[in-house]
Amino acid sequence: MTTPTFYIDMKITEEGNAQKGSNPREVMVVLGPAYGKELNKTIVKVDHASVLREILSGIEEQGAVPRVIRSLRTADLAFMAHGAAQLSGSGISIGLQSRGTVVIHQRDLDPLSNLELFPQSPVITLEMYRQIGQNAAKYALGESPNPVLVVNDAMTRPKYQAIAALLYLKECQSLVPNQKPIELKVEFSITE
Amino acid sequence: MKKLIAGVDIGNSSTEVAIAQIEDNHAVFLSQHLVKTTGIKGTIDNVKGIRFALQEAAKKAGISLKDIETIRLNDAVPVIGDLAMDLISETIITESSMIGHNPDTPGGAGMGIGITVIIDQLTAIENKEQEYIVVIPKEFDYEWAAHRINKAEQDGIIITGAIVQKDDGVLIHNRLTKEIPIVDEVSLIEKVPLGKLAAIEVALPGYVIRTLSNPYGLSTVFNLDPDQTKQIALVAKALVGNRSAVVIRTPQGEVVERKIEAGRVILKGTNKQQLEVSINDGAESIMSTYEKLGVLQDVRGETGTNVGGMFNGLRYDLAQLTGQAAEEIMISDFLAVDAVIPTSISGAMAGELSMESGVALASMVKTDKVPVQRVASLLEEEIGVAVEIGGIEADMAIRGALTTPGTRKPLVILDMGGGSTDAALMSESSKITSIHLAGAGDMVTMLINSELALDNKELAEKIKKNPLGKVLSLFHMQLEDGTILFSKTPFPPHTFGKVLIREENDLTPLPNKLSMEKVRDIRRSAKRRVFVTNSLRALKRVVPTGNLKHLSFVVMLGGSALDFEIPQMITEELGRFGIVAGFANIRGTEGPRNAVATGLILSSVGKEVVQ
Repeated sequence: MTTPTFYIDMKITEEGNAQKGSNPREVMVVLGPAYGKELNKTIVKVDHASVLREILSGIEEQGAVPRVIRSLRTADLAFMAHGAAQLSGSGISIGLQSRGTVVIHQRDLDPLSNLELFPQSPVITLEMYRQIGQNAAKYALGESPNPVLVVNDAMTRPKYQAIAALLYLKECQSLVPNQKPIELKVEFSITE
Repeated sequence: MKKLIAGVDIGNSSTEVAIAQIEDNHAVFLSQHLVKTTGIKGTIDNVKGIRFALQEAAKKAGISLKDIETIRLNDAVPVIGDLAMDLISETIITESSMIGHNPDTPGGAGMGIGITVIIDQLTAIENKEQEYIVVIPKEFDYEWAAHRINKAEQDGIIITGAIVQKDDGVLIHNRLTKEIPIVDEVSLIEKVPLGKLAAIEVALPGYVIRTLSNPYGLSTVFNLDPDQTKQIALVAKALVGNRSAVVIRTPQGEVVERKIEAGRVILKGTNKQQLEVSINDGAESIMSTYEKLGVLQDVRGETGTNVGGMFNGLRYDLAQLTGQAAEEIMISDFLAVDAVIPTSISGAMAGELSMESGVALASMVKTDKVPVQRVASLLEEEIGVAVEIGGIEADMAIRGALTTPGTRKPLVILDMGGGSTDAALMSESSKITSIHLAGAGDMVTMLINSELALDNKELAEKIKKNPLGKVLSLFHMQLEDGTILFSKTPFPPHTFGKVLIREENDLTPLPNKLSMEKVRDIRRSAKRRVFVTNSLRALKRVVPTGNLKHLSFVVMLGGSALDFEIPQMITEELGRFGIVAGFANIRGTEGPRNAVATGLILSSVGKEVVQ
């Protein structure tokens, strides 16, 4: 048995201002201003394409419908996700920054409150991104899933804090003041 | 002449005290208190708890401890109990031949039959007459796998189903040009034999599989003769109730339900009478054998078997508790109860569980006289009040129980505690017969803990003591009986959508997979199996004629009489014999608590209570 080698390419097309969704099975994924554009790897050098694909796969596997937008007026995770939750048909959203930090949000919560927050981006694995997508879908479908288990590494802070700050600054350079979120069409192609 | 007397009752799990003022042969009760027993009943560790309880009671009565003239201590019954539980059957799959499990999200629906083939060998297939089932280990991405299957389909290879290791069922299904059933989350996929005939079935959401869980369905699929059908029937049994399943036929493959050599129980009675019963016969036949024997002197388990191990373990525990040698321990009573124990099937490929049968045992030994005297002298030394040891516990309990309004002699008390169920009969001439039986509240906790696979004794204890509810929305909760409770305050967020235990001031959510009906059924059946069985057993022993119809008043006491459903179950059961049964209301105010402590005070004056 040989493991096939293949590459995943992500193609993101911008499709104008995002409208409020009406599908109750919809989970909104909101990307940071630079995600997959000016930046293309997370803080631990994982390809943005793989991360987003795992989240979308998780949502789809549970039977919900993923939709992707990009936030341009803010790069703050909580406000990105809270804004996206208002546009989401189910009221559930996932916020994803370029460095890999994720949150699951719900439209009736306060911006700084949330359903599940994964603040230590260096320790999030691809399997966890998949589970985060699955959990968000479960919330959207009205289930109450067990939160995704998070590992805690006390050394991530001293090791990555400076890099995280730099990545956030870099992400902020892509901000467009007063620009509403943009609807995105994300396509993956696989080549052997 | 006025004097103050305190009664102290040391129980297996709680210590109760009562303080009364005695005036011309009348007792006026001032206060009472209850604490958890410190240490094992009858040991000097108890003193700490007693002192604390006395201080609290004295504070409530507004007196000083020094004012108390005498403290009366109960002569604790020298019996100690212990619990054990083990399997008597086990399902083993040799030559792995089935997968039956409930992944949250399998793909597609329907039934497919074909030869198992690994995904990267698909293109190398030459024989296009055959139908195939694809095996997809976790190294293969879903996009790639779906692409491969679609391509093979175009090349004229017929694919009827897929077995997937990761949780990719829906993802693959959404990318296929032709619908096939897909079973995913098969964790041990490397055990799936390749090149063998397999059948796969996935039911629609909310339905269960029908063909593979039917022995004749399996025989149709695999062209089996009657003998082979008989052999494979166990596979069908193991798959009942699943939403998806795979059965793979390997020439040697078989599923066996192995009866573990559980062994025989040897019951020894008086006059060297001895009866044997196999534990595989189940709890009912063990208990009826015990009934035939009448008086029990000791029980042994056949050495080298499960039951031998269980009884030896009990003997060893009890020897440690009492400080006697293990050989000297004589088991004076035991209760066997059938139990269902979820066990993982050995040889299974997706971590399947099977509900295996087992037996739970509670046993009890008579020990040397419990050294209450030592407790009494230490207590006297510590608080400087004279301590005397009162009469027999059962005697005191009956005196206490008789303060319940509406009772009279002859009276039977049923004392249901944590470790033992005790019964005592007081005849019209005030003669007392008493009996101590193994099995009570702690056994119920053990059964709940294991049958719900909680692995958490505290949670099981909470389930035992409280009713359930399910939070439907911010303000609505569905109760066990189906009624909806509207709350004035919103429920806390961590309880949303969950089944929870309704404690007095707190709501404890249960793990997600447990449904309210299942937890309730197991809770009630565990209580019934232990308490209803034991109360009948106890009453039969204390009634001189052995006929329950000759009883008229039964009063329930002890911690388990406080339970929200046990007394009703027993009242209902005993009602069939025309017995008035209910839980006590000691002194008309205390409910089923404080009987012994009250009895201890009353016995010192020999007169009735004055409120």
